[in-house]
Amino acid sequence: MAGFWIYGEWAEDDFHPVVYELLGVARTLAPRLGQRVVVVTLGPEDRKTGVEKVLSYGAEEVLFLVHPELDYFRDDLFGRLLGDMVRERRPEVFLFGATSEGQALAPRIAGELGLGLTAHCTAFEVDEEGRLVQIRPSFGENIMAKIVSRTRPQMATVRPGVFPKAEPGEPRGRVEEIKLAALPPSALVRRAVRPLPRVENPLTRARVVVAGGRGLQSKENFAQLFELAELLSGAVGATRPVCHLGWISEEHMIGVSGVSVAPKLYLGFGISGALQHTVGIQGAETVVAINIDPEAPLMKQADIAVVGDARRILPALIRRIREIKEGKNGSGS
Amino acid sequence: MHLIVCLKPVPKPGTVRVDPKTHTLKRDSAQLILNPPDLYALEMAVELKETYGGKVTALMMGPPNAAELLREAYALGADEMVLLSDRAFAGSDTLATSYVLSRGIKRLEPYDLVLMGKASIDGETAQVGPETAAWLGLPSVIQVKKIQREGDHGWVVVRVREGYEEELFLSGPAVVTVEPGINDPRPPSLKRLLAVRELAPRLFSAQDLECEPEKLGLSGSPTQVLDVFAPSYQREQILLTGEPEEVAQELVSHLRTRGLI
Repeated sequence: MAGFWIYGEWAEDDFHPVVYELLGVARTLAPRLGQRVVVVTLGPEDRKTGVEKVLSYGAEEVLFLVHPELDYFRDDLFGRLLGDMVRERRPEVFLFGATSEGQALAPRIAGELGLGLTAHCTAFEVDEEGRLVQIRPSFGENIMAKIVSRTRPQMATVRPGVFPKAEPGEPRGRVEEIKLAALPPSALVRRAVRPLPRVENPLTRARVVVAGGRGLQSKENFAQLFELAELLSGAVGATRPVCHLGWISEEHMIGVSGVSVAPKLYLGFGISGALQHTVGIQGAETVVAINIDPEAPLMKQADIAVVGDARRILPALIRRIREIKEGKNGSGS
Repeated sequence: MHLIVCLKPVPKPGTVRVDPKTHTLKRDSAQLILNPPDLYALEMAVELKETYGGKVTALMMGPPNAAELLREAYALGADEMVLLSDRAFAGSDTLATSYVLSRGIKRLEPYDLVLMGKASIDGETAQVGPETAAWLGLPSVIQVKKIQREGDHGWVVVRVREGYEEELFLSGPAVVTVEPGINDPRPPSLKRLLAVRELAPRLFSAQDLECEPEKLGLSGSPTQVLDVFAPSYQREQILLTGEPEEVAQELVSHLRTRGLI
């Protein structure tokens, strides 16, 4: 049977956005691997018309496991059912979004079947041996690693927001419905769901992101980023070290352990540019780096690199932009 | 109640050197610390022990010198220390690591709950928790922020999802990973720091754990690193230098020209 499988995480009334992103990845890679694109999903019967949607986004088949009690995610149960499907159909590739669900599920399947799994890939290649080369930042240092798996399916997770969504087209393929008579036992029962106050992180949709790193030297200097963000109607981002230093809370963290951003303009103040951070700004259109060290990795990859002390340039920039906004001096344009 | 906390020794950030020619890590130069996200799991276990009674076992796979980190865990409230250490474990990916941890956990039966941090700060895969559970045939729940006993063997857990939290009933022992930042890990106790000087962790080798050799280290690791490379960036670049006020003004005019502000 084989196939290039994508886990079809369901979110209320449609697939999770990351599924469409994975379909974009699959469209490029699956033909080169000689595989069909299959979205595998689990749920109650009434999702039938909903799951057809991906057939217009590059899925050649939807494998739909149906049972009324599959209406919410249970780690052990979903892991077991998908593990059985993998054993039976032997896909070549199985990709998951690195959502809380995907990150709970993919390693369960890997553990049950003894498979390799690569977390948080930021790029893929197909090598001359027809293997899926999984690329991810490595060891928290400034190197990327190319990883292959000796086992099949080749499994990997991808963070939401890293790849562009597949474009819709003419629908093709079909839904294969597999009605399950009984479910294997599960140790989990959902009791309640409560919305959390902050539903969406403003960073992921911001047009302008102003981010700071250790080069800003203090929490007080870092706090000035909020002033700049307000002037530019943007959001404040941070590197992992400054979150750990307590200068700002972790929701502001950009990178492997945080969120990915795709603004028109990204300004990085005193950020050296560890890969852990920069993989999260791949989608930024214009990157400006402000750093005392012209050799810093972020300076090398910036569209505009400003050499100087971020602590002094930040307030100067705030003053200059405020002048313009207040119409005092427009000579810069 | 027996609570097992898995802890990972990780290189202290900034102490790892990368060989500029081969791009491989010079791990020997690194100073080891307890993986910071694991401290929330340890604190949660110690709080559970304080509520329900019992003991906390700190379990670690690592080199012999990681014993010092287990002593640190003792000072933070763990009661027993177990180190899984063997040359055969070197080069393990997450699957081989979770296999060894599952063998160690099996050795410590009976237990009520296994706790881990959400992810390590070096590998950042967040995979070892659910993989270990799979080896043990146990359920797993990741990103847990609250946990309470219900009945003789059950648990009520609250986990964090995107934009909401979910309360689940868990009918027996499980592996949970703990969401960072959900509690305040206590400082080390002086009394415990003094007491632990007389103590050493129990040490288990691959043979002690009756591990299958082909599941260990590189041979037990299905993922292989083919190559590592430094990313290269080729873009047209504008470089601005000068006094802060000058560069700020120049930067603003560039951004305005491009219609970005």
